[in-house]
Amino acid sequence: MSTIVQDQKYRNSQKRKDAFISTFIGFFAFVWIFPILWTIWTSLRPYSDVVSYGVFSWPKRLNFDNYFAAFKQMHILGYFLNSLYVTIPAVIITLFLGSLIAFIVSRYKFKFSLPLLLVFTAGNMLPAVLVYIPVFWMYIWVGDLVGNRNFLYNNYLGLILIHVAFQTGFATFVLSSYMKTIPKEISESAIVDGASVFTHYWRVILPLIRPPLAALGVLMTTWIYNDFFWALILVSQDSKRPITSGLRRLNGEFVTDFNLLAAGAILAAAPTVILFFVLRKQFISGLTLGSTKG
Amino acid sequence: MATEKNGAGVSRRTVLKGAALGGAGLVGGGALLSSCGKKKVTGDVHWATRGGGETGDAIAKSVNDAYTAKSGNKVIAQQVNSDDFQNNFVQIMQGTPDDAFGWMAGWRTNARADAGLLADVSDQIKALGSSLSAAAIQGATNPADGKQYIIPTTYYPWGLHYRKSMVADIGMDPENIATWDDFIKMCTLTQKKGLVGFALGDKGGWEAMGTFDIINARLNGYQFHIELLNGKQSWTDPKVVEVFKHMEQLIPFMNKNILDISWDGMRDLLLQKKCGAMLMGSWFANDFKAKSQADYDDLWIVPFPEINPEFGVDTIDAPLDGVSVAANGANVEGGKDLAQFWGSKEGIDAAIAGGDTSIYISSDFDTSTYDAFNKQKLAVLGAAKNIMFFLDRDTRGDFAGPVVGVAIQNFLKNPKDLNKILENTQAQWDALPKL
Repeated sequence: MSTIVQDQKYRNSQKRKDAFISTFIGFFAFVWIFPILWTIWTSLRPYSDVVSYGVFSWPKRLNFDNYFAAFKQMHILGYFLNSLYVTIPAVIITLFLGSLIAFIVSRYKFKFSLPLLLVFTAGNMLPAVLVYIPVFWMYIWVGDLVGNRNFLYNNYLGLILIHVAFQTGFATFVLSSYMKTIPKEISESAIVDGASVFTHYWRVILPLIRPPLAALGVLMTTWIYNDFFWALILVSQDSKRPITSGLRRLNGEFVTDFNLLAAGAILAAAPTVILFFVLRKQFISGLTLGSTKG
Repeated sequence: MATEKNGAGVSRRTVLKGAALGGAGLVGGGALLSSCGKKKVTGDVHWATRGGGETGDAIAKSVNDAYTAKSGNKVIAQQVNSDDFQNNFVQIMQGTPDDAFGWMAGWRTNARADAGLLADVSDQIKALGSSLSAAAIQGATNPADGKQYIIPTTYYPWGLHYRKSMVADIGMDPENIATWDDFIKMCTLTQKKGLVGFALGDKGGWEAMGTFDIINARLNGYQFHIELLNGKQSWTDPKVVEVFKHMEQLIPFMNKNILDISWDGMRDLLLQKKCGAMLMGSWFANDFKAKSQADYDDLWIVPFPEINPEFGVDTIDAPLDGVSVAANGANVEGGKDLAQFWGSKEGIDAAIAGGDTSIYISSDFDTSTYDAFNKQKLAVLGAAKNIMFFLDRDTRGDFAGPVVGVAIQNFLKNPKDLNKILENTQAQWDALPKL
């Protein structure tokens, strides 16, 4: 009898705990998702409605006009294409360079392998805002050298290169951690069989690091796609802007149509959200990548 | 970065009066002059529209197409975010800038011109001839070298805005809010109805500068105001204290969330009939029109009321905008040519055809089709004989926003700290590096 009562008590307290935790999580989930919901809500309301009746008023009309307007006024497709032109080459080059360096520092022992890895990883810690003026001048200077100031500055090439420069460090770090988990024997037998350094990399290691490459590829795509700063600083021509900084054009000098801006923001965020749902597994494995051996 | 110089000329603008009012009659001379006797400019020209959304693009397209039709030079236009363009201006101008773009007269032009970033457009201004009044040219002149780096095109008045119906409701004459006492009476009566007497939003830190500008000009005169902003008068002067005392009188009438709302928050209060009056630039009138024609017809503007009879209502904040040319552009001559076109009669006509509702400073500007509110804007501008450009263009950039803007915000939070705030402001001016 008493054990049953105790069981009951235990279960009750457990229930209370569960309820508390659920409320707690629910509350923070709401706080977390509120800005997104609010953005969607805003994007459905016409600007004139908000101006006339206030932000917190009950809506008179809800429609998708802002989305159509975003496509029509914003040339949003052009901005999307620009994002693709920058993101895809940048991710591929970053992964290629990152895997090359990771391969060398993890599969071959030489004096500078550790310092080399440290240098690449440390570069990752450098805040972009610290270096943007020198980068800007460097771009102009290189442009003057080749006789075309728009060679790097205000060009896709410049944006791609700066992303490669900033992301290679992280890619190297993650890939080298992963490569260290690949048994040495595989490399040794490849070398014994007479594989050159490049064959060793291309035919032996590269096929083995597909999972981290996929995970990194997904992460990098999101990061580079989401970049706002470099696109703002290094591109002066609106038609070359990627979607993130292209959206800025919707802010007027005096009047900003936040409803239209919200629709644009939702559209800009859509690809990464879709990417996340399609490649959820890679995302999550990306978070723990290389965490077992460092 | 390049050194920036202060446009410290005290007497550089006096009378812009009549430039726009002069109106329709004086058509032509300048535009004709511009096309004769000069060698032809060729090549594509790049143009940047500073904000304005669809309307901005439409206006730019209309003017630029007209330019192409006239000169045969293609114009490649783009729209840029106005804030980003302003904030990154020095960097953009050193890269590969567009040849010509909309810009603002005053410190922002003069300092960048001194740094070698803007091209001299004195010849173009000469070519525009008599369509620009001497005062307008004076306002566009860089005091450091006496040359012009901006072709002045439009301006807008800062005045007291209210709804005529609401003023009539409290038993006052909407056409006659002339003195400080009238103004206080208006605020008091409006507040009795449970509304905000005088709306103010200063979240951005610049909005309330307009209030400071105008009270200082009404109390102490234009000359004192400009001298104060250029370090020739002290911020601890009892005259300045008096300005803030007048602002303090208004605080009880204000909304409680001054630092939480921006200018558009003020606009909404008036739009939704929640406040009696506000002091602001007239650029927002289209939002009234967007709500309904009745709301637009209800909107009114008068000069900020007289405080000191010695100065009457002789001064107004009316920032002067125009077109500048990048010194590092790919086609500087083309840029100058295009800039001149924007200031010419043909350019103005094309802009208006494209949907522009601004007030042009040129005497070629035809105001005959104006509605009542726009005519009143012209009258408000015409009532003043001294034009201020607004605090953030009348003083150096590292003083306006970071020091004065913050000082006014602090004052609005804690009016009792006034003396400390003013001492601090003066100390910060003294600590600024010489330009």
